[in-house]
Amino acid sequence: MKKKLLEEIINKKKKKIEFSIITNLDNGHSFIFEKNKPVEKNFKKYEDKIFLLFNSKKNGIIDGTNIFVETYILPIKVIIVGAVHIAQYLVDFAKNLNFEILIIDPRGYFASEKRFPGLKIINEWPNEAFKQIKTDQNTALIALTHDPKIDDPAIQHALKNKFFYIGALGSKNTHTKRCERLKQSGYSDNEINKIFGPIGIKLGGRSAPEIALSIIAQLVSKVYNT
Amino acid sequence: MKNSFDEKILEEASDWLATKRNVILATVIQTWGSSPRPVGSRMIINDKGDFSGSVTGGCVEAAVVRECLSLFKENKNFKKIEFNVSNESAWEVGLACGGEIEIFLEQIS
Repeated sequence: MKKKLLEEIINKKKKKIEFSIITNLDNGHSFIFEKNKPVEKNFKKYEDKIFLLFNSKKNGIIDGTNIFVETYILPIKVIIVGAVHIAQYLVDFAKNLNFEILIIDPRGYFASEKRFPGLKIINEWPNEAFKQIKTDQNTALIALTHDPKIDDPAIQHALKNKFFYIGALGSKNTHTKRCERLKQSGYSDNEINKIFGPIGIKLGGRSAPEIALSIIAQLVSKVYNT
Repeated sequence: MKNSFDEKILEEASDWLATKRNVILATVIQTWGSSPRPVGSRMIINDKGDFSGSVTGGCVEAAVVRECLSLFKENKNFKKIEFNVSNESAWEVGLACGGEIEIFLEQIS
């Protein structure tokens, strides 16, 4: 691989572009494939097969050839509402798992750069914050404030936009009340049942890092079981 | 659903190059049977023999490093290598799990 190509790959990852690296294993020559961009002429005859692997987000050698395709897809977006203590541990776990993390908290004293260095923090109420973020079915929401004023609008946005994971911190009681409020706002039982509340798998731990671990475990299991 | 569990190996390769070391990229390109890591798993090796990342669960990494060091010596740009359970190139090498893997080594130039 040429050094220039390596830098180009790193750049595309930074810019959040999806692409495939196509390598001819017979001569070591590689090029970067992108949707809607012309395929290099040496690889033209494999165009359909490359496209197929790219679309199915798979890596592998094209059958009967010596062409290797490796596809880079965008990381899952995880939105944390509430820049609380648990969030600090969540951020640590989520980084190793390569999730893209954003934090929303209108309370400036929580969501400070000092508490979350280098992270994208949006100091707005959820409804305003979501105007700045592109969300879809590959987005997850972790609501941690257990303050209905902040959590509820975020949960409603996540339900409307069909996030693949929605979890909300709070006791069984808090969650029952939350569900009642959502019902009154017109959400169906089916939708409300998609919310993980109380959040996290049953680990038994009560400390902030233990709760963060149980949340992240639930989130990862949802990635593979949807 | 899929996430890109990207281990940032290519970024690390770029950092290593910046320190004026020669770097080889090792990528799992094919697997048969039960192999520890999926196609696309990566490892980088420099001319001092340092390595980062993995292509198996620690089964063949030492042998991969040896292959890379000889590739540096011969000044070759790429090579395909294979490992399976019966691989006897060295006593510690081989996949205990009974799988087979093919790895592509390429020098970043």
